[in-house]
Amino acid sequence: MKNTWAHFFTGSVQVTIQGRGTERLVNACLRNGMTVWNVRKIGEDKLTFFMLLKDVPRLRPIVRQSECKLSFGRRSGFPFLLKKTFANFGFLLGIFLFLAVVFLLSNMVWGVHVQGAKPETEHRILKELKQMGVEKGAFQFLLDPPEIIQKKLTDRIDTLTWVGVELRGTTFYFQVVEKKQPKEPEQIPIRHLVAKKKAVITDLFVEEGQPLVSVHDHVEKGQLLVSGIIGKEGQTKFVPAKGKIFGETWYKSTVVLPLEAVFHVFTGKYVEKHYLSIQSFAIPVWGFQKLSFAHYETESQKRPLRFWKWELPIVYERVIYRETEQVKRSYSWNEAFQQAKKIARKELQAKLDDDASIKDEKVLHAEKENGKVKVEMYYEVHENIAQPQPIVQGD
Amino acid sequence: MKKWRQQVKKWLANQLELPADVVMDLPRITMIGHIHIYIENHRGLLTFSDKELRLLLKQGQLLVRGEEFVIKTILPEEILLEGKIQQVVYLDQ
Repeated sequence: MKNTWAHFFTGSVQVTIQGRGTERLVNACLRNGMTVWNVRKIGEDKLTFFMLLKDVPRLRPIVRQSECKLSFGRRSGFPFLLKKTFANFGFLLGIFLFLAVVFLLSNMVWGVHVQGAKPETEHRILKELKQMGVEKGAFQFLLDPPEIIQKKLTDRIDTLTWVGVELRGTTFYFQVVEKKQPKEPEQIPIRHLVAKKKAVITDLFVEEGQPLVSVHDHVEKGQLLVSGIIGKEGQTKFVPAKGKIFGETWYKSTVVLPLEAVFHVFTGKYVEKHYLSIQSFAIPVWGFQKLSFAHYETESQKRPLRFWKWELPIVYERVIYRETEQVKRSYSWNEAFQQAKKIARKELQAKLDDDASIKDEKVLHAEKENGKVKVEMYYEVHENIAQPQPIVQGD
Repeated sequence: MKKWRQQVKKWLANQLELPADVVMDLPRITMIGHIHIYIENHRGLLTFSDKELRLLLKQGQLLVRGEEFVIKTILPEEILLEGKIQQVVYLDQ
């Protein structure tokens, strides 16, 4: 018995013989050492079998000696496959082109990721990499190996302690450790500190300069608080005055709040639709369902499609429909009053610096008119009132 | 003379417990159910159709009857037949 798949490489052919003494012909074939299989009688004096392609020349003399006619049927195996492939080599070309494209694409760089770097360092790294040719779309086999890239990067960028370069598939990963460089002290020009507004001083904290006021002093706007001129008369020196002067200041604010208000709020439900549009003609691509929202807002994002480096006139558009709902809010007089107070405080806090604190609040006036609450508030605040004022020399 | 030689061979096969097909040049027939028949030691194909196979043996002939016969493999001394085998008959001549 023979392995049938071994016949695949040598190629096999189906033979039909017709005439008298077909069995004798088969015997003769066997005696000549030919391999014959799948013998089948298909008619009164018609026999068909398979044989190896290389045995065909030996078959001919045997047939000539017998009284049979020979015809060939199905051909199978590698030699015939090869012939067929050459006959339609377009396919072959396509396969090779495809493989070539896949090969090229899988040897490109498809991403450069920098991790652990400050934005400016990242920018520098990316710039250096671009100079080295490491960018999206570059061929990997034209680039330096990762060790060399690593060395070049650490050589060229002085703020780097270490860079880990790793090529994972088609993406470069850069793990960055930056040097910690000491901060350069700020160069402050010589200056005074003056009052930002009218206040009563509550606390003084002067780092540098000559304080001219003390606690409980009342100061006006623009009044000199800390002088940048130190030293005895005749031996004066200019310094940048530095410090915090806390003073008690006063704010007045008015908040008007309607008792009833109508809002549009999103319910969280949304429908997405995708379109491809050419000029003003939009073809829906995804999301064909009908909108079931009574009120909604639309949001659309457009992105032009690109081919190579050209922008195509086709635009991909994503439209999101968000359902909205009307909500009615109504306060009682007391609630509205409390709410207004809260709003006023929040507004003030947003205006103030972080180190400021609200010490006291008073309601000056509260009234209801035309379905609205009007509240006038008065606040006592402790805040830093110091404001730098450059010293113009030569005065 | 030929008969005598045959007798000796038969005696040898019996006494030395040698396989009879080797000593006496007899066909060895293996059947797998009624779908395969494997015959070794034949001397050639006499007739073949999809209902009948006649093989020449050293002594006499072997006739296999059935349906849908296909010779899967045929070598000078071996044959593998596939189909629905109904009868295997020895014909003496």
